[in-house]
Amino acid sequence: MKKSKESIFKSKLAWAVVAELLILLVAGILEPNFFHIEYNATTGMFYGSLIDIVNRSAEITIIAMGMTMVIALGGTDISVGALVAVAGAFALKLLRWDVTLYPTPGDYTIKPFILVILVPLLICTAMGLFNGVLIGKFKLQPIIATLILMVAGRGIAQIATNGKQFTTGYTPFRFIGQGSMFGLPFPIVITIVVCAAVMIFVRKTAFGTFVESVGVNPNASRVTGLKSDKIIMIVYTLTGFLSGVAGLIYSSRISSCDSNNAGVNYEMDAILAVVLGGTSMTGGKFSLVGTIIGSLIIRTITTLVYYFGITSESIMAFKAVIILIVIVIQSEPVGKWLATRQARRQKVGELRG
Amino acid sequence: MKGIEIQFPGVKALDGVDFSLRRGEVHALLGENGAGKSTLIKCLTGVNKMDAGKIELEGKEIRPTDPKNAMDLGISTVFQEINLCDNLSVAENIFIGRQPIRRGQIDWKEINRRSQELLERFKIHIDVTRPLSQYSTAIQQMVSIARAVDVDAKVLILDEPTSSLDNEEVKRLFDVMRDLKAQGMGIIFITHFLDQVFEMSDRLTVLRNGHLIGVYNANEITKLELVSSMIGKDLDEIFDLKRAAQKPDAKMMLDADHIGVPGKVEDISFNQKQGELLGFAGLLGSGRTETAEMLFGVTKMQNGDLKVAGIPVKIGEPMDAINHKIAFCPEDRKRDGIIGDLTIRENIALALQARRGMMKPMSRKEQDELADKYIKMLSIATPDAEKKIKELSGGNQQKVILARWMATEPDLLILDEPTRGIDVGAKAEIQRLMLQMCEEGMSIIFISSELDEIIRCSNRIIVMRDGKKAGELSGENCTQADIMRIIAGEKDGETA
Repeated sequence: MKKSKESIFKSKLAWAVVAELLILLVAGILEPNFFHIEYNATTGMFYGSLIDIVNRSAEITIIAMGMTMVIALGGTDISVGALVAVAGAFALKLLRWDVTLYPTPGDYTIKPFILVILVPLLICTAMGLFNGVLIGKFKLQPIIATLILMVAGRGIAQIATNGKQFTTGYTPFRFIGQGSMFGLPFPIVITIVVCAAVMIFVRKTAFGTFVESVGVNPNASRVTGLKSDKIIMIVYTLTGFLSGVAGLIYSSRISSCDSNNAGVNYEMDAILAVVLGGTSMTGGKFSLVGTIIGSLIIRTITTLVYYFGITSESIMAFKAVIILIVIVIQSEPVGKWLATRQARRQKVGELRG
Repeated sequence: MKGIEIQFPGVKALDGVDFSLRRGEVHALLGENGAGKSTLIKCLTGVNKMDAGKIELEGKEIRPTDPKNAMDLGISTVFQEINLCDNLSVAENIFIGRQPIRRGQIDWKEINRRSQELLERFKIHIDVTRPLSQYSTAIQQMVSIARAVDVDAKVLILDEPTSSLDNEEVKRLFDVMRDLKAQGMGIIFITHFLDQVFEMSDRLTVLRNGHLIGVYNANEITKLELVSSMIGKDLDEIFDLKRAAQKPDAKMMLDADHIGVPGKVEDISFNQKQGELLGFAGLLGSGRTETAEMLFGVTKMQNGDLKVAGIPVKIGEPMDAINHKIAFCPEDRKRDGIIGDLTIRENIALALQARRGMMKPMSRKEQDELADKYIKMLSIATPDAEKKIKELSGGNQQKVILARWMATEPDLLILDEPTRGIDVGAKAEIQRLMLQMCEEGMSIIFISSELDEIIRCSNRIIVMRDGKKAGELSGENCTQADIMRIIAGEKDGETA
C-alpha cells in the first residue's frame, strides 16, 4: 500500500532544520570564523562556536526530552527550572565546602562520591513523581500542579543550603560540567547518552504510542485499556529526573549552587524547544529529534547574539524576534499557503513542460 | 415559489450535483457514508470551498466563506457532532456570539428569558442558567437545534439530528420542524432513519459516490426503491440475515448475578452462552450503556458477582476486562473511541498493544499487516493505513474501532450502538459481521435503539428500564410491540 506523504511545507521538523541552517548561514556570512573548530592538543579538546553551542544547550536539551512527552500528553511542567536549583543545592550540600561549617581545608565530601550524584537525582525524581501523582491521580491541571514545586522547589533549595551560595573546587564534581571525554565537553557526552536512552525507551517500546494516544484522547485511551494515570506519572517522573541531571551539569559548570538564579526561565526555554521542534501544545504526536533541533536553535541564537556583541539588554528582544519568525513560518496557515503555492507552481510547470 | 439552486460540477467528492430546496419544504438528503452528503452541506455552509458550480439563494448568487457568513446569509446548520461548549450555561450556548447588549453590557436577563422561551417551544423545561454539561446528550442536541432555529434563518440544515434522541424527543423535534416549515423555512434533513424520512419530508435527493442519483417526491417512492437507489445493490442480499445458530453444547460465557453500580444500574442478572448474540433494548438512559460500561470496567462494578467462562472475576478497570478477553466498542465514538490524531494503523493496533504491554512493542511490519488485513476484511474506505482516523467518515471510523477489538480476538464483544449514525449499507455489513463472528463462537452483547435490528440479530433480548432489567425475551418470535410493552412498563417480568 502506498503511504500518505505530507507536504514538506507542512512538516514542522523540516522547518526547524531549515531555520537552524539559516541562522548558522547568517552567522557564517557575518563571521567566517564561526564554523572554525580547533583541536587543542594539551587539553585534548575541540574548541569552536559550534561545539560551544551544543555544549551550552545541554541542560535545555536534556530537560526538553522530558518536556516533549509532557507536552505530548497535553500538559506542561513549569517546575523544571526550580528542580535544576534543587539538584545543585543538594549536590553542593553533600560536597560540604561550606567554609562556616568546615573552616579548615580538607576533603569533607560525602563518601562514596557517587552519593553526591545519586541523592540529588533521587530527590528530583521524587519531586517529578510528586508532580505525576498530582496530575495523574488527583487530576490537577498540570500548570497548577507543577506551579507548587516551581515555588516550593526554590524554597527547598534555600533551606538545604541555609540560603547560602557555596562554591566547590572538588575536581570529580567539576568534571561533570567542565571535563571532557573523546575530545568533547562532558555535557555533550551526557546529552548524547540521555537523548539516545530516552529515544530508545520511547520508540523501541510502545511507550511513545501510548503517550501520544493519551495525549490525543485520554477517555478513549482508558477505554482501550491504557492506564493513563500510570503513563502520566512515568512522564513527569522522568522529567523530574532529567531536570536533576541538568541541575548537576549546571551547578558543576559554575562550581557552585545558586538557589535563586539556577535554572531560571528553563521551563520557558524547554517548552520553546519542544514547540520549535514541531510538537503541538495541544498534545498528541511528538518529535524528540525536533526538540533537540529546537533546543539548538535557541542556543544558536543566544550564542550568535553574544558573538556579535549585541548588548545583553537587547538579547531577549532579539531572541524573541527570531523565534517569532520561526514559529509563524511553522504555523498551519502559512504551511497551507506555501503548499498550495507550490502545487500551483507545479501545475504551471507541467503545463509549460 | 423561489428556490435555491446549487451546482458543483467537477468536484471530486461531488461530481456535478444539483440540489434545490423550496421555501416551506422539508427536503431529505440521503446516501451512504461517503456519498457526499456532508460535502454538499459543507459547500453550502462555506466550510469547504467548491471548485466549480454556484449557489443561489432567492435568485441571488451567494458565496459563503465560512459558517458564520453562511448564517448571516440565512443558512443555519446543526451538525451531527454536537458543537457546544459544555462548561457554559444553556442560555450562553444559545446566544454565544450574538449576545443582546443593553447599555454596553450583556443583557443576561434577556438572554435567559429568551432561552427559556425558545426551549419551551421544544417542550423542554430546564434551568437555562445551569451548565450544559449537566444535561443529557439528547438535551444538548435539542439545545443546538434550538440555537440554529433561533437565528433568523431561511434555510435550516439538520445533519442527523435524531440519532441521539429517543422517540418522544424525536416527536417534539418533528413538531418544531413542522412549525418552521409552516413559517416558510426550507429544511434540509439528513438522516439514516428511513421511517423519519417518509414521515417528515416532501422530497428526497439521493446521492451515491458523489453523484446525484435522483430527486423523488416522498409519496411516489417506496422504502425498498429508496434503499436500493441509495446503495445500488439488491435488497434481498442485505436483509437476508439469519440469526446465529445456537449449539446445544455451548458453554456458559458470562454469568452476571445481581451486578450493579448504585445510582446507575442495579440488580442486573443474566447469563450468556458462547456464540450467543444477546440484544439489549431500552430507552436512552435506561441503563444499557451503564451495564456495558460496568462489564468492561469503565465504571467499577460495586455489587454482585460476575463469572466469565465459569470463573468468578473482578473487573475494576478496562485492562482487567481485556485480560478476560472482553472487548467493548463504546457508544460515543468521538469521546471514547477514536484517537483522532493517530493513524488508522495505530488506532487498530492500540488495544492489542495495550494488552501485550509497553515492553513488548509490535513491530512496524506486524502493525502494517494487521491494519491491511482489517482494512480489507471490513472494507474500510481509505487510500492507506497512514491516514489519520479523524479524517474518515463516521461509518469507517466505527469499522476501525471494530477492527481494533477484533484484533484482540475477544471471546465476548460488547457493541454499544455500533450502527448509530451510519448508513444502511454499512449497517447491514456490521450486522452480517456480528452474526458471522457469533457463528464462529464469539459471544456478542449488542446494544441498539433500533428495535428492528435488535430483533433481526439477537438470540435473546434483555429489555432495560430505569436502570433495571425489566424483562427478557427470546429473539426468535418476539415483535417490536412485545419489547415496547416492556419498555413502557405494561408488562413485566421474565417472559423467556
